[in-house]
Amino acid sequence: MTTVLAPVAGAVIGLAAVPDPVFSQAMVGPGTAIDPVRRPVEAVAPISGTIVKLHPHAYVVVGDDGKGVLVHLGIDTVRLKGEGFRLLAAEGDRVRAGQPVVAWDPAAVEAGGRSPVCPVVALDAPADAVGKIAEGGVDAGDALFEWS
Amino acid sequence: MAERTVSVASEVGLHARPAATFVQTAAKAPFDVTIAKAGGAPVSAKSILSVLALDVRQGESIVISAEGEGAEELLDELAKIASAP
Repeated sequence: MTTVLAPVAGAVIGLAAVPDPVFSQAMVGPGTAIDPVRRPVEAVAPISGTIVKLHPHAYVVVGDDGKGVLVHLGIDTVRLKGEGFRLLAAEGDRVRAGQPVVAWDPAAVEAGGRSPVCPVVALDAPADAVGKIAEGGVDAGDALFEWS
Repeated sequence: MAERTVSVASEVGLHARPAATFVQTAAKAPFDVTIAKAGGAPVSAKSILSVLALDVRQGESIVISAEGEGAEELLDELAKIASAP
């Protein structure tokens, strides 16, 4: 059982509300999404483990048990090519759950015409492996869902 | 062993939609399917974690391999996904 933490503060809206079918249809995997607070924030690691992939707009942390969690900061933000995102860790780093990984500003992403919604996805997990999804508001580092 | 070498054409590389579609298609096969960067170590093409970690960018070549009944058809389908702009 892995407890996956909220990478950012905001409202838990569920994957179905993400304005990108890749996430809303759970094509990448099960999980949920957060509509983040509109102020500069530090997105944190959702689990303890190794950062196997770190893009400015998205990162994957893999725990020692092999479970990988994807955090995507905003939708279609790959096209920003890193502008407005500052890396606070490096690919290959070991991180603790809750440790800052990327600094960014959801309000700036929104002002640029993109959704700042953050999908948090359990990779390679069957749909029924994700449960106890938080409801309402969360702070960064709060329990977001459990991965059995 | 059937094999295809294709250049990834999507602007975002093999991420997001192309990656998810690629993995979903590979996962339908009853046999192992692997993906590697040219000259690199192969990883499971059925794992979204493995494919995202492989981090294939636009213009990079990948080698996809499989062995079994229907492997040729599956690889054709995967090659089409990977080479789609």
